[in-house]
Amino acid sequence: MQNDFLEIKDLKKCFGNGEAKQEVLRGMNFTVKKGEFCVLLGPSGSGKSTLLNIIGGIDTPDSGFVSIAGDKLEDMNEKQLTIYRRKHLGYVFQMYNLIPNLNVKENIEVGAYLSDHPLDVEEVLTTLGLQEHKYKYPNQLSGGQQQRVSIGRAVVKNPDILMCDEPTGALDYKTSKEILSLIEECNKKYGSTIIMVTHNEAIRFMADHVVRLRDGVVRHNERNETKIPAVELEW
Amino acid sequence: MKNPLFKRIPKEIIADWRKYLVIAVFMVVMIGVVSGMYVGHDSMLSAVKEGRNRLHIEDGSFELSKLADQELLTAIASGEKADLRQYFIDQGIEKADQKVAEQLEKELTRNVKKTLKEEVTEQCHTYGITDQQLIQQQVEKAIQEHLEEALKQAKTSKQFKKTEARVYEKAHKEVLKEVDKQWDKIEKQYHLEEADFAPVAVKIYEHFYREEKEDNNQDGKKDANLRLYQSDSWIDQASFNKGRAPKSTNEIAIDRMHADNVGVGIGDHILVGGKEFEIVGLLSYVNYTTLHESNTDFMFDAFGFDVGMVTPDAFAKMHSRVHYSYAFKYQQQPVTKIEKATASDNFMKALITQSLVGENEVKDYLPEYLRQASNFATSDIEGDTAGTGIMCYILIGVIAFIFAITISNTIDKEAAIIGTLRASGYSKGEMIVHYMAMPVIVTMIGALLGNIFGYTVFRDVAVDLYYNSYSLPTCYSVWSKIALVKTTVIPLLLMFFINLFVITKKLQFSPLRFLRHDFVKAKNTKARPLPKWSFMRRFRLRVLFQNMPNYVLLVFGVIFVELMLCFAFGLPDSLTHYGENAKNMVFADYQYMLMGSQDEEGHTIKTNEKTAEAFCSKKLMYPKNATVLEPGMGSGGDEGVTVYGIVDDSQYMKLPNDDKTEGVYLSSAYRDKFGIKIGDTIRLHEEYENKSYHFTVTGFVSYDGGIAVFMHKKYFHKIFETEQESFTGYFSRKEIKDIDEKYIATVLTVEDIEKITVQLIHSMGGAVDVFKYALIILSAALIYLLAKIIIERNEHAISLVKILGFKNREIAALYIVPTAMVVVVFSIISFGIGYSLMVWIFKVFILQMDGYFAFYMKPFSMVLSVVYLLIGYVFVSVLDFMRIKKIPMDVALKNMD
Repeated sequence: MQNDFLEIKDLKKCFGNGEAKQEVLRGMNFTVKKGEFCVLLGPSGSGKSTLLNIIGGIDTPDSGFVSIAGDKLEDMNEKQLTIYRRKHLGYVFQMYNLIPNLNVKENIEVGAYLSDHPLDVEEVLTTLGLQEHKYKYPNQLSGGQQQRVSIGRAVVKNPDILMCDEPTGALDYKTSKEILSLIEECNKKYGSTIIMVTHNEAIRFMADHVVRLRDGVVRHNERNETKIPAVELEW
Repeated sequence: MKNPLFKRIPKEIIADWRKYLVIAVFMVVMIGVVSGMYVGHDSMLSAVKEGRNRLHIEDGSFELSKLADQELLTAIASGEKADLRQYFIDQGIEKADQKVAEQLEKELTRNVKKTLKEEVTEQCHTYGITDQQLIQQQVEKAIQEHLEEALKQAKTSKQFKKTEARVYEKAHKEVLKEVDKQWDKIEKQYHLEEADFAPVAVKIYEHFYREEKEDNNQDGKKDANLRLYQSDSWIDQASFNKGRAPKSTNEIAIDRMHADNVGVGIGDHILVGGKEFEIVGLLSYVNYTTLHESNTDFMFDAFGFDVGMVTPDAFAKMHSRVHYSYAFKYQQQPVTKIEKATASDNFMKALITQSLVGENEVKDYLPEYLRQASNFATSDIEGDTAGTGIMCYILIGVIAFIFAITISNTIDKEAAIIGTLRASGYSKGEMIVHYMAMPVIVTMIGALLGNIFGYTVFRDVAVDLYYNSYSLPTCYSVWSKIALVKTTVIPLLLMFFINLFVITKKLQFSPLRFLRHDFVKAKNTKARPLPKWSFMRRFRLRVLFQNMPNYVLLVFGVIFVELMLCFAFGLPDSLTHYGENAKNMVFADYQYMLMGSQDEEGHTIKTNEKTAEAFCSKKLMYPKNATVLEPGMGSGGDEGVTVYGIVDDSQYMKLPNDDKTEGVYLSSAYRDKFGIKIGDTIRLHEEYENKSYHFTVTGFVSYDGGIAVFMHKKYFHKIFETEQESFTGYFSRKEIKDIDEKYIATVLTVEDIEKITVQLIHSMGGAVDVFKYALIILSAALIYLLAKIIIERNEHAISLVKILGFKNREIAALYIVPTAMVVVVFSIISFGIGYSLMVWIFKVFILQMDGYFAFYMKPFSMVLSVVYLLIGYVFVSVLDFMRIKKIPMDVALKNMD
């Protein structure tokens, strides 16, 4: 396996102050290797989304650090963080957040525009099964189709890390499996490191690396030796 | 790769085309009007300036009592003064010689006759003839036969020659003595004593004219005085607005504005001096941009006076007296006003002396720079039109805020998308550029289309305003730098910075906060406590608080609407008010300006009219630093100020008595126009001399008729170094009938002021009405836009309350009633603010023009301006209600996508 690509060290984060102060991350430590499919698993309030946001450079820790390929995010200013996100990250959210007055292809181009070496938009459309829908607007698509576009927008950048925050949270069982398969395929095909936040226990079986969180700390940090393809997952 | 976000812009324009259409119409119309005003103004000035060169405007003209011979014209053209002393000596000697010769002849004849008589008598006595009758017969016979011969012989005698020489010498000496004695008076009369005379050479052109009666409808009655020139003149040519120059003896071209006023045109037949002519051209003479019949006329008369052109043959066949008018151009052009005044003074000395020596007489002399007919219009239009842009800028400001608020609402709506894009690596700058693009693009399109309309449609509107007032040459659009700056650069900058400020502030949040829709700075802010009202009332109040920024914008919009309505109603009101108050604009029913305070014999010009009161006056200039077409032309951009010297205890102008010696009082119009306070020092300067005066303002007098300074007559004489007994004219309540007309320069009466009003209304009337209705429509459109924003902002909430089961009427009560309350409450306050703003804008506008014209609104118009706003809003709320009905319930159910 490759060397550690992502390192999370003593990460702490609080929200609020005084009596309302709440420790969301209480000294978190783990590493992720390049090309790994890492799932952050945990119940609501376990700090998984906050952790994802800090890794994504859109939130900052109170202490500790995140290092990607040896570069610490805490050393970066806002402009450098923007460049970091632009060059290295792709984001997929539970809500698809597509631009309503751009069609499918144009929404994917929004991602391609940011990258110095983007993937071919047409190829991504084909991979994601969106060729026949490429001229449709988001409001003409189902939730699953919209999430595909959202994945396309993130993947087309050819990012080093694909951050997925509950990507199936708003989808039904069947569509969720389709989306997970696509993410799996992107991981294999494009070699992106994937960090996925979910509370769906079943998804851990398709991951290389499972980090289980509870009350702001890592409870379990394990490598999955026997991965199950997404299509075979049941929940 | 182009930023794919830009692909949204055309789609957004198409999706919300009504809003953008209204905004675009607003911008295009306002920018178009402003651009048109500037382009029209610059094109007109350029046409006038170009016309002055192309059509060979004179530098001055003079009229002689009879046709001048070539020798005289050459002498005048040289610019040299004639040797008047020698002329008088020659004249004296000639007369003296004639007298001496007559006297010598008489004396010699008498002596010769006497000698002949003595010789004949002596001979008769020698022959013994004593009969006296016979002797007398012999004497007469001898005189008859020998007188001529004897005279001849006598004239050859040395004695006679000696006597003759002595007498002539004595007579010549007498002549010289008399000329010397009278010379001081002559020098003074012709201003020959001034040492700084420099000859001004000119080129002279014949420019004869006839004064004919014009009968437009061929009813045998005179309709106007027509000054007729020949079509082959090189100097003072005409520009043809329509038609052509006359080619045959029955063709004529007349002034375009006069023709418009009296309702004749090309192809019509008119009687001129009893002869029928066909009008073949409508023209504008370069030296008659206003139809001033006489240079001393207070106001031009485009109805009762006309200028025309016929062929030289037709001119020769007319019967009225030829006016031997000659125009001239300086060989070396003076540039400044002072140079022009000096050149004119010097030339006038040459003209008068040479004409006198050349046995002719100057009937009239007028340098071009003093010529009302060619400078009046230019003075009026030359000033900068800085005030024109103010309304435009306020509107662009309001539109910029509409954009800013709309975009702000869009950012709220698209928060999650923005958060995602920012999280994906889009920079804040890219997002700002994206949201800034729309207002900037719309402004650029507005400016582009506005300028296209400005250079075509609106330019013509502005030019027509000038054409309705003056006889101006045909003009072509010229590129106006100032129009580009004021209609494109400034609106773009306004739009850019207002939106940049609002959008930057709105996009300052982190991507995470966008993803969480977290825009409230202090999270623990408690909800505003409300009184224990009914639920609906409290709900409505919450809606009001929640939409506060939109309502603030609405209030600004309402203020702007009131500003526009004040302008729409106030402009015609002000014109009418000016006309109705013409009587108050003069402080005497008759104001006579005399040529001087003494008649030809040096006696003071007096009148028996009991209400007459002498006054002194002088025209000075107040510097305004306005831009001018060219130095020395028109008023030079400065404001003309009339300085009055008023007698103590005047019945026409009450000056405070506490300071009868050196107080200086400004007219209220002067004070209001320039914002002068007591104790301020004003500097007034002579128009044609390098001389200025400083006055400290002692007080003000209520007089809106003009920019005037009043002081006691004694102080006037002291300041301007004039004699205590001198004066400029008379104020009077009744017509003065016992002063010879030749001593009266001008008479100003209430009718003259009314004439100005008629001309003003004639010039602006049509345009004012168009402007009024355009502004009312724009006002309604603006209210529509502002109300639309509020409904759009609350679309999600409206959809939600629909799901909850609220009826459309209840929703209207929640979302339309607060807007209605804001509009009603602020309509009156906004009227006050809008009115004050309008007064200020009008003042800035008037500052660029000569004279004073106060903004006025009738009380009824004030009420109307509020009522129109409310009526406009009623229509808009009906549209709002329809819009609420159309909002689907799934807006609240579906996610942002």
